[in-house]
Amino acid sequence: MSARKLNQEVFRSWVNELIARRRVVGVQAKEERFVFGPLAKAEDLRLDYDVTLLPPKKYFLPPRDDLLAFTTQGEYASRIEDEPFILFGVHPYDVVAISQLDAVFSEGHYDVHYMTRRRNATIVACDVQTASAHVFASAMNTATVQDGFDLLLTKIGDHYLADARTDKGEALLTAVPGGSEPTEADFAGREQVWRRNRESLNKHELKCRPEELPTLLENSYDDPIWEERAKLCFSCGSCNLVCPTCYCFDVRDDLNWDMQTGMRTRVCDACLLNEFSAVAGGHNFRSRPAERYRHRFYRKGSYMPHKFGFVACVGCGRCISACVAGIANPLDIYNRLIAKSPEIQAPEPAASPWAGSAKELREGGGDGRSLEMAARSGGALSPGTGLAREAPPLPEGTHSEGVQASRTIAQLEAALPQEGFLLPGAALAPEGVPSEDIYVPQAATLVQAKPLTELETFYEIRLDSGLELGHEPGQFVEISLPGFGEAPISVSSSPSQAGTFQMVVRNAGNLTNALGQLTAGDRIGVRGPFGSEFPVHDVMKGKDILLICGGIGLVPVRSAINYILDNREDYGHMTILYGAKTPGERIFADEQQDWRKRDRVTVLETVDEPDASWHGHVGRITALLPLIRIVPENTIAVVCGPPVMYRFVLKELKTMGLADTSIYLSLERRMKCGVGKCGHCQMNGVYVCQEGPVFQYSAIREVMEAI
Amino acid sequence: MNKPKVAIFDFAGCEGCQLQIVNMEEEILDLISIVRLVEWREGMSEQSEEYDVAIIEGSITRPQDEEKLRQIRERAKILVALGACATDGGVNKMKNRFDLQEVKQLVYGADSALPHLDSAPTKAVDEIVQVDHKIYGCPIDRREFATVVRSLILGKRPEIPNYPVCVECKRRENVCRYEYQEICLGPITRAGCDARCPSFGAWCFGCRGPVDEPNAQAARVIMERYGKRAEDLEDRMQLFGHK
Repeated sequence: MSARKLNQEVFRSWVNELIARRRVVGVQAKEERFVFGPLAKAEDLRLDYDVTLLPPKKYFLPPRDDLLAFTTQGEYASRIEDEPFILFGVHPYDVVAISQLDAVFSEGHYDVHYMTRRRNATIVACDVQTASAHVFASAMNTATVQDGFDLLLTKIGDHYLADARTDKGEALLTAVPGGSEPTEADFAGREQVWRRNRESLNKHELKCRPEELPTLLENSYDDPIWEERAKLCFSCGSCNLVCPTCYCFDVRDDLNWDMQTGMRTRVCDACLLNEFSAVAGGHNFRSRPAERYRHRFYRKGSYMPHKFGFVACVGCGRCISACVAGIANPLDIYNRLIAKSPEIQAPEPAASPWAGSAKELREGGGDGRSLEMAARSGGALSPGTGLAREAPPLPEGTHSEGVQASRTIAQLEAALPQEGFLLPGAALAPEGVPSEDIYVPQAATLVQAKPLTELETFYEIRLDSGLELGHEPGQFVEISLPGFGEAPISVSSSPSQAGTFQMVVRNAGNLTNALGQLTAGDRIGVRGPFGSEFPVHDVMKGKDILLICGGIGLVPVRSAINYILDNREDYGHMTILYGAKTPGERIFADEQQDWRKRDRVTVLETVDEPDASWHGHVGRITALLPLIRIVPENTIAVVCGPPVMYRFVLKELKTMGLADTSIYLSLERRMKCGVGKCGHCQMNGVYVCQEGPVFQYSAIREVMEAI
Repeated sequence: MNKPKVAIFDFAGCEGCQLQIVNMEEEILDLISIVRLVEWREGMSEQSEEYDVAIIEGSITRPQDEEKLRQIRERAKILVALGACATDGGVNKMKNRFDLQEVKQLVYGADSALPHLDSAPTKAVDEIVQVDHKIYGCPIDRREFATVVRSLILGKRPEIPNYPVCVECKRRENVCRYEYQEICLGPITRAGCDARCPSFGAWCFGCRGPVDEPNAQAARVIMERYGKRAEDLEDRMQLFGHK
């Protein structure tokens, strides 16, 4: 790899030459602020910018991103944007953020939409020349960066030092002749810029090391600060939407005027918005502003570090500028909590990166807020009073330099043919890189659709491919209807049933209403199966089984019931407790009669609101528990029902002597994408669509938002 | 395709929302390819008493209009309130803050007692009859109108945002109006306009009304932060009949 020293003139002609050859996106002025936008000429480029309004992630995860074109006949065509481009002038903190997004969109279910754009990008990083009003990259160790980009520009005096770090960067640099060989002095000058930036991008101070944040947040969940600050929160999501590391999205369907074709589009979403965690039935799992407000700080400082190994804040300060109420500054919050946590130690003075003078850097223009939004001091924390302690155990990889993520990209790059930057479009699916679009449903046909109650309909479905769904009891699928979108639906049949699968859908939202209109022979789309399963293959084997279901909670559990009945000799006694609101809302009443006739099966039912026809038990499902006898050491319990049910049932099971490890819960959340990306189903740091919906109770006992 | 019959009615308003439908221009052909317009005073001369969908523009300011509205409601399977006057009372609702006689005197002078100028306090459509869907805004957004119509024809409840305008402002990468020392109603106003006004350099006037749970208290508190008075904010909110 080579480096070149470019004077202003050479630099300009170089940039203009790049523009002539390829799509270039670069930083430009917008009113008093800066934005990344299509670059028409080198003169428009403003590498002296302080910070852009939106981070460059908009070129990988656009605010509106068409995923699929569809027809109402149920055909879906993946829309992949596959055009090489140069992203010019990315600040180091944003480079780190991109590396973090790379990790998110390449792990597990590979997101071909994001990753194709990412592979097509040549990133020209640029060391910060002007500190913005709220940057705190110094505190997050993101003021300089050594990987995650293709070429790095550093302004030294009147020159740019251009340093290629990848083949793509090298191709860019050697595209145009000119410039000179950098000298030792030039590299020394860059060292000086780096040293200065590490010290002076420090408009806010973090009074601990970033890697200590997960520990800090361990004991701050019920701190009054969340309620106190959220009083001023508009739930406007601005803090999320300008964040370079936030990536949650919603998905919408729009039909064209022909009413036969349309587009499935994802739009940037925000966990601060009121209805972010609301499910179709109406329950909102994070209904209070303080819960949503807290979620963001935990996600940055705890959930992401635990899942991916990095703190998901890079110190760009955009949220601070964007929050009209002035409550979004993460360091303000963290410092307040640190002041109450004597075990968190202030950084060693020697390691303190914010001691430098900011005077060397020009004050960034633009943030004309009338009030100083600087972080208030988190209270005095005299060095030495805290206990020295180790950084919390984090998964492999560094907390913020994005090493783990950029390695992922490097691996992908290795799989690419050596693409000269002048070649048109990168190959969509080079060897070793997944090309399958995880958002495209497969076609399926309704074999049967019959009303079960006034609200619920029973469906039997066959995949058009002729293949089995291949699910396990407890898993769910995303059901897709063109124009209506998708909804997560539990599979209700046993995997031992060949050829088709079954589900029961409550009429609760747009998609399920539309589903209710369909009849046998109609086509639907299916993605999945997704999620975790009831442990029928191991833990439950040989054990007595206690199944406790409320309302349509019986739907996924029926999959396990029928599997157990199909493999009866593998399991002990099976007790099914079922509670419905009214006799009319009972589901699978006929099947329950059949279950009762089977060997070693007990079925008990109750309803909340009986009518004249009902002669059985009346009351909540917990009233059935005293009627049964279990051997706690030899019993595995499964609980599935409406959100309010779990707490009461769990309490009863505990008094019956059942260990938390012997209880499995199936939980409902807004599982919009099913593949661990969109963020809607999160309970604290847990993605229900990935780690759930079936959880061993002992594993989520400490997950505050679970029950 | 059996096209549903749609009638558009206007009450007290400037007719600007209907005009937005006219302004769809060639897209009107698309519109009438999926619906049968049977009455629309601003767009055609025919009238009808048979329709599936009634679209109501304007607020209700005369007792006799309440009767007419109830009749429409009885005939229509689906009733849609179109624009700020219909959804919230709109600018017309400002008169409710004053003495009615005084207002009539001010507006009509010597003619104020004439029977056809009889005026009652302004009501939004849903203060009189059940409204199935609301298309917010002053004026409405044409694209949103088109999306709502297509959704209704498909049999889908239109997805109207319940989050503040700030969301769309951020998506469009606008400079925040508060950075220009302006009072912007964006943080408490329902999105769906694609942040039209801020995108053209003006503050949000709040024409789409507040989100379901606006933090109006916070809005008052932060006025101080920007050296403004809470009363200035309240004045802005009252423009379209909100408090």
